[in-house]
Amino acid sequence: MWVEKYRPRTMAEMVGNEEARIAVSLWLRDWKPGKKAMLLVGPPGTGKTTLVGLLAKESGTSMVDLNASDVRTKERLERRIGEAMRTVDLFGGRSLVFLDEVDGLLGRSDYGGVEFIKDAVKATKNPIIMAANDQDADEIRKLASSCVTVRFRPPPPREVEMYLRRIAAAEGREVGGGEELRSIVTRSGGDLRHAVNLLQSGGTAGSSFKEVSPSVSQGINAFFDAPDAASALAALRTLHLSPVEKVRLLHTCVLKAGLPPADLAAALEVVSRADLIMGEIGATNEWRMLRYLDGLLANELAPIVRGRGKYVSEDLPFPLLLRIWNDSKKVRELSARYAAHASTSAASARSQDLPFLFALCASAPFRESLERALDLDETYEKFLVKEAGR
Amino acid sequence: MKKVLVGGWFTLPRLSREDFSLLMRQGVKYDREMGFRIEPETDLESAVRTIRSAVGEEVSLVLRCFVCGRDACDGCPYLETCDRTKVSSMCLCGEHSPETDAYPLYVKAASESLAG
Repeated sequence: MWVEKYRPRTMAEMVGNEEARIAVSLWLRDWKPGKKAMLLVGPPGTGKTTLVGLLAKESGTSMVDLNASDVRTKERLERRIGEAMRTVDLFGGRSLVFLDEVDGLLGRSDYGGVEFIKDAVKATKNPIIMAANDQDADEIRKLASSCVTVRFRPPPPREVEMYLRRIAAAEGREVGGGEELRSIVTRSGGDLRHAVNLLQSGGTAGSSFKEVSPSVSQGINAFFDAPDAASALAALRTLHLSPVEKVRLLHTCVLKAGLPPADLAAALEVVSRADLIMGEIGATNEWRMLRYLDGLLANELAPIVRGRGKYVSEDLPFPLLLRIWNDSKKVRELSARYAAHASTSAASARSQDLPFLFALCASAPFRESLERALDLDETYEKFLVKEAGR
Repeated sequence: MKKVLVGGWFTLPRLSREDFSLLMRQGVKYDREMGFRIEPETDLESAVRTIRSAVGEEVSLVLRCFVCGRDACDGCPYLETCDRTKVSSMCLCGEHSPETDAYPLYVKAASESLAG
């Protein structure tokens, strides 16, 4: 994908947030113990995580990074990064500690994480950079008081156009007078990733940008009608949806496709794996895993649903949605409790351990002991029995 | 219309104590000699609101060209659609517009700035 192919390799190659990049770079250069931590705030996709990775690489500093929304408790933060904050290497070399998505530490699930960070930034021997998406959250404001805050914003349209022109030139794409390109820039709303994907989708399907911007319904129908994996892949890449929206919409369309039970189960299995990829990306910020998402859907989902589904605009029936929400909530809660019990992450518990636990719950004694160990109330009994029966 | 160059010094008529402290809280820098300046950490939307109410006229933010430092908004084809309170603070002027293959110049300017 072009977003990966043209990912900036140096801080200078990034686009937008010029003053912010300089401020962060100078902050690290002048950092010494006692200096404030740095807090980067701004919407997703504005380059906060990319910048920190490149900053560590270019300054030759090793980096200890952690997605804070994955580790919320004080004890687990201490275990994962406490040492890294307090120690330097044998030769006095420092590590850059990066806590991404600190918004995830906040709110009702906060088990002392914010206090841990506030204390840590005062005592650390290593520079700490934090990143948050929601600058207006009260807790972020409190955190900001003990940090140097730098705001990240989407790049202005002219810079987005410059970046797209550079890619188009490298790919041999003709952009002519630039009206179509300007249309992409405006539609992208400053989201470089989206803009590059829009540019590439034009390139994938050939001809002009206007002709290759089908509606979502056309794109989904093309996916269901695709004769082979390559056509299914091309159809997916014309969809102007975020990956999460794409998976969600395909889930709805598959459910409403009227497939026989065995095929429906197989199709949902693929959608579920796509959802796991999204979850993994959310937890690790490894956006390059996105390259596998469309491939998975085109190679494994398209053959199952070929010629048997179409775009459905309406949402799922409310009772079904309610059931899905309730089950998802139960899975989330169960994962969190099991994770705390087994000293693993909620994401690992959900993807790796829960399927086995559910299978073992076919045994009533095991189920009861699990309920006791995780302090589950009676509402879980029915849920576990249902899951065990699958 | 009050034009404010983002990242450049600008002056304002004498402000009330409340408006002044509000601007400071919103991250606007003040220097007795030079005046006011929008910084990377400035809460732009709020600061523009404060300035607008203080001077009693509309405020138009003007971005600077990252390559040469000139007014980047003059003649920009995106002027109508670009919300300058929401985008990052530097851009490209007509001379260094995307049509002129500005990316190598842009990267060079960034390298120099980052090298300090």
